[in-house]
Amino acid sequence: MQEFFQGLAEILEIDPGEVVPELVLAEHCWDSLAVVSTIALVDECFDVMLPSQALVACQTVADIEAMIKSS
Amino acid sequence: MATAEAPIGRVATTRGSRIAGAVCCVPSRCVANDYFVDKFGAKSVEDVVKMIGVKERRWVEPGVSTADLCQTAAERLLPQLQWSPDSVDAVLFVSQTPDYMLPSTACALHGRLGLKRGAIAFDVNLGCSGYPYALWLAMTMVQSGAADRVLLAVGDTISRVVDPKDRATAMLFGDAGSVTAVERSPETAKTAKTAKTADTDDTITHFVLGTDGQGEGHLIIPAGPFKQRSEAVDARLAGKNAACLYMDGAEIFNFTLATVPRLLTALLGAAAIEREAYDAFAFHQANSFMLSHLAKKMKLNPERVPMNIARFGNTSCASIPLLLCSDLAPRLKRESLQMALLGFGVGFSWAAASLKIGPLRVAEIIER
Repeated sequence: MQEFFQGLAEILEIDPGEVVPELVLAEHCWDSLAVVSTIALVDECFDVMLPSQALVACQTVADIEAMIKSS
Repeated sequence: MATAEAPIGRVATTRGSRIAGAVCCVPSRCVANDYFVDKFGAKSVEDVVKMIGVKERRWVEPGVSTADLCQTAAERLLPQLQWSPDSVDAVLFVSQTPDYMLPSTACALHGRLGLKRGAIAFDVNLGCSGYPYALWLAMTMVQSGAADRVLLAVGDTISRVVDPKDRATAMLFGDAGSVTAVERSPETAKTAKTAKTADTDDTITHFVLGTDGQGEGHLIIPAGPFKQRSEAVDARLAGKNAACLYMDGAEIFNFTLATVPRLLTALLGAAAIEREAYDAFAFHQANSFMLSHLAKKMKLNPERVPMNIARFGNTSCASIPLLLCSDLAPRLKRESLQMALLGFGVGFSWAAASLKIGPLRVAEIIER
C-alpha cells in the first residue's frame, strides 16, 4: 500500500503523510485526470483494473482501498 | 471449471500484397498549447498536457475537409509511385469526418482524383482502429483478385467536432489525412509457381480484428443525423453540446487496459513471431500517458514504441500512417522492418496487423 499511497499523493498534489483512509477526495484534485491516473496507479501497483464509474463515485481513500481489496 | 475467455478478435491472414508507399497531409495551421491558456487557465492546461503529451497539433482552416487532405496526399503519392490514376483499381476512404452524408466520400475522391470509371470505391466509418482494418480490406481485395492497386485514404478532422470549451477533448485532437498505396507484390506475380513457405514469404500479413459495441456511448457525437443519444439514455451527456464529441476518458482507459495487451498477445500468437523480433510497434497515438503505461505493462522496449503525439496530437485513424511517414520514415525508405500496427478506440473497435513494411518508395508528410 505504501507505493499506492505515494502515488495517490502525487495525483492529489498533497504530501504523502496526508493520505489517510478518511481523506475526502473531493476536497483535493479529484477530477477526471485524477481518476484516470488512479486507474493506472492501481493497475501498476496491484495488477487490478478498477471500474471507472465506481471509482468516480468513491468519497474517500478508504473507498478506493475497499475496491482494490474486493477486486 | 473456469470459463474460457472469449477470443479478443477474429484472426485473418493475407498473402501477396504489400505497402508501396504512403503520404500524409497535415494542415499548415499549427496550434500550440498556449492557445488554450486563456480558455482553461495555465494550471489546467499544464495538468491536461502532462497527461496527453500534446505540445502542438495541426488544425484545418474552415472549409478544408478530411477528403481535401487525403486528395492532396494522393496527388503527391501517385506521381512519385508512377501510378497513373487509371491504374488504380480501388479507393477506400476511412474516416468519421466524411464530406457528406451521401454520396460516399470515396466516390467523391474517385472523381476528384480522376480514377478510372469502374474502379471500386467505398467508405469505412471507423476511427482509431481504422488503419489496420483498412489494410486488411485492401490486402484481402488484392488476394481475392479484385484489385492489384488500392489507395487507402485514411484520416480525420476531429478539430471540427470538438467542443472548444471541453477540456477533455479540445486539446487532445489534431487533424491529418493520409493515403497509403497497397499493391500486389511483384514477387507473387513472378514466382507464382514457386510455392513459398510462411517463413520466407514477406508478403504475409496477419491480422486480429475485434469489436465491443458496449462501448458505443463512451466516445460519441450524440447528435446523429438519424438518431440522437439523449441525456435520458446517458446522464453523462447532461449539459454537453450534442453536436460535439463526448469522451469518457476513464472508460476508454479501462477499455485499452483490458483490450490492447490481449490484442498484442493474440497478434504475436497469430504471426508466430517473438516480440523481440519486431523492429517497431506502431500504436494508435491515443495519449502519451496511456501509451507509456501500456508499453510498460506489455514489457515493450520503449525504443521500439515510437510516439509522435507531442507534434500532431491524437489524429484518430491517421495516427498510425503518420508514424510511418514521420518517425519511422527514414528507416522504412531504406530497409524492410518487421512491424506491428495496433489501432483501438471509438466503437469500441480494435485491430492489429503484423507485417513487413519497406523499403517504401515514398514515405513523407506534406502540408496543405
